[in-house]
Amino acid sequence: MQEQWVSALVFLGLAFSVPLSMLVGAALVRVRAKSNLEAKYDTYECGEEPDGPAWVRFHPRYYIVALVFVLFDVEAAFLFPWALTLRELGTLALVEMFVFVTVLLIGWAYALRKGALSWQ
Amino acid sequence: MMVDLLAPLAADAILVIGALSLLLVDLILPPGEKRILGYGTIGVLLAALISTFALDLSGEAVGGAYEGDALALFFKRGFYVSAILASLASLDFGAKIWPRRQGEYFQLLLYSVLGMSLLAGVRDLLLLAVAFELMGVPLYAMAAFSRKDKLAVEGGLKLYLTGAVSSAVTLYGMSMLFGASGSTNLAEIASAPSSPMLAMGVALTLAGMGFKLGVAPFHMWVPDTYRGSPPPFVVLVAVAPKIAGIAALTRLLLAGDGALLDSVSELLLLLAWFTVIVGNVMALPQDSVRRLLGFSGVGHMGLLLLGLTTGTAEGIAAMLFYVAGYIFTTAGALLVLSAVADEDGNDGLARFAGLSQRSGFLAFAMLVFLLSLGGIPFVVGFWAKLYLFLAAWGAGYQLSVLFIALVGVIGLYYYLRVSRAMYMTEPTVEGPISVDLGTQLAIALCLVFVVGMGLVPQPFVAVAETAASVLR
Repeated sequence: MQEQWVSALVFLGLAFSVPLSMLVGAALVRVRAKSNLEAKYDTYECGEEPDGPAWVRFHPRYYIVALVFVLFDVEAAFLFPWALTLRELGTLALVEMFVFVTVLLIGWAYALRKGALSWQ
Repeated sequence: MMVDLLAPLAADAILVIGALSLLLVDLILPPGEKRILGYGTIGVLLAALISTFALDLSGEAVGGAYEGDALALFFKRGFYVSAILASLASLDFGAKIWPRRQGEYFQLLLYSVLGMSLLAGVRDLLLLAVAFELMGVPLYAMAAFSRKDKLAVEGGLKLYLTGAVSSAVTLYGMSMLFGASGSTNLAEIASAPSSPMLAMGVALTLAGMGFKLGVAPFHMWVPDTYRGSPPPFVVLVAVAPKIAGIAALTRLLLAGDGALLDSVSELLLLLAWFTVIVGNVMALPQDSVRRLLGFSGVGHMGLLLLGLTTGTAEGIAAMLFYVAGYIFTTAGALLVLSAVADEDGNDGLARFAGLSQRSGFLAFAMLVFLLSLGGIPFVVGFWAKLYLFLAAWGAGYQLSVLFIALVGVIGLYYYLRVSRAMYMTEPTVEGPISVDLGTQLAIALCLVFVVGMGLVPQPFVAVAETAASVLR
């Protein structure tokens, strides 16, 4: 029983040593900025010159459109395998898919009625 | 054929169909008439509750991932009743505070209850994970439903963050359970040879569910969410998800021959001790009565864990009876609180000062609930504690029983502190309190059950024993 825990201990040691070695390695080889250089405190933009502050407002419209997209994306992902195997699965699968699509349609009706798809 | 497959899930199907129909009704209702959705929700929950009595919900469903036995029925009824109580309290509150968004609130409530309802009879890790999330995610949104109220958003955010972390921990634990046993069936996991990975999996799953239960040391969200969230929502979150967590733990730990429980029983007992200490000691300095009840709720979870640790039929039956008492007592106390707190949600002891002069009914109801929470004879809390202690004593946990009973005595102090404020001080706010009809009805229901189960506990104990007999 005791020996079995050795693997857990090794796993724990690895879990700590990997990020630690990364940090130590990065600290050894990194480029050191002069202590009070103004650019050091700039927002990091993958090498681009930062434009404007980092705290800006995003319009929630994007999230809503993304959510509605996911809804139908998942539906399509389920529809393809279903269409391929429908013959073997029989009537039950047909009924099940209609139930599934109806539930999603209700969600779509909700999004439509609440104005999630109107872009004003 | 499909009807046969889903027959044990008829109550859940009622919830789904009801929720979707209400969503469609919400779309065509003019903004001023959303109140009817609350009545519809209560109707759907009542229909589901009646179906647990009227229909035969026994048997396996979804390929053995769900089994409708007496234990599942017991938990289902508990969830539906607590959701009905919370909905009754939400009727007027919702119409006043978020008149246009009542539909969404009740939708979320129904989906959360659906998740709990599935948890009641879960036999498979996958369904356990999905149902647990279905229960949790709507609660995060509901907690922050008063979105202009900073405390509500804070409480909601804390619930969300701890909930997300706990889900991650639970899923990590479940992946270990699957890795160690090669099966997602709970009974097969229990019969897998014991290994460190299996023990770690159970411990991690236990920790993740501990967050939802509000077991110390995972209880930090409880007082803040109680204090900040809309009072009718607190009636829901203080009762239903916690019982659902107990249901999930019971299903997981006592699956098969209960081998998983044996592997973590010391840990569970340690959690129970710690939870009882933290809940009762931290409740002492609270001024907000909701925070006080929050910590007292943490303490009660410790007692439920003690019942679960025993793993005997008597212990589980006592735990189930305790759960039934907990539903009505805690929901009742929080219902009174939602009536007494002012518009900003202030619920300090000062709001309770001289309550007996402002509303005799509320003060009396609160007194009964507090006595029940404290375990004073002739209300349900006394019998619940007594049965639990007797069962745990019989199972060989004498030391724990003595210790937890002693710590429980601390509870009497802070329960009596509230009672003293209600009956023996002069009111700081003048004028009688007007309580809406829904809340009054819910309080009256809780009162009937707390007193009724205190005077005639036998029928309820018999139901709990039948439910517990399906295990082991």
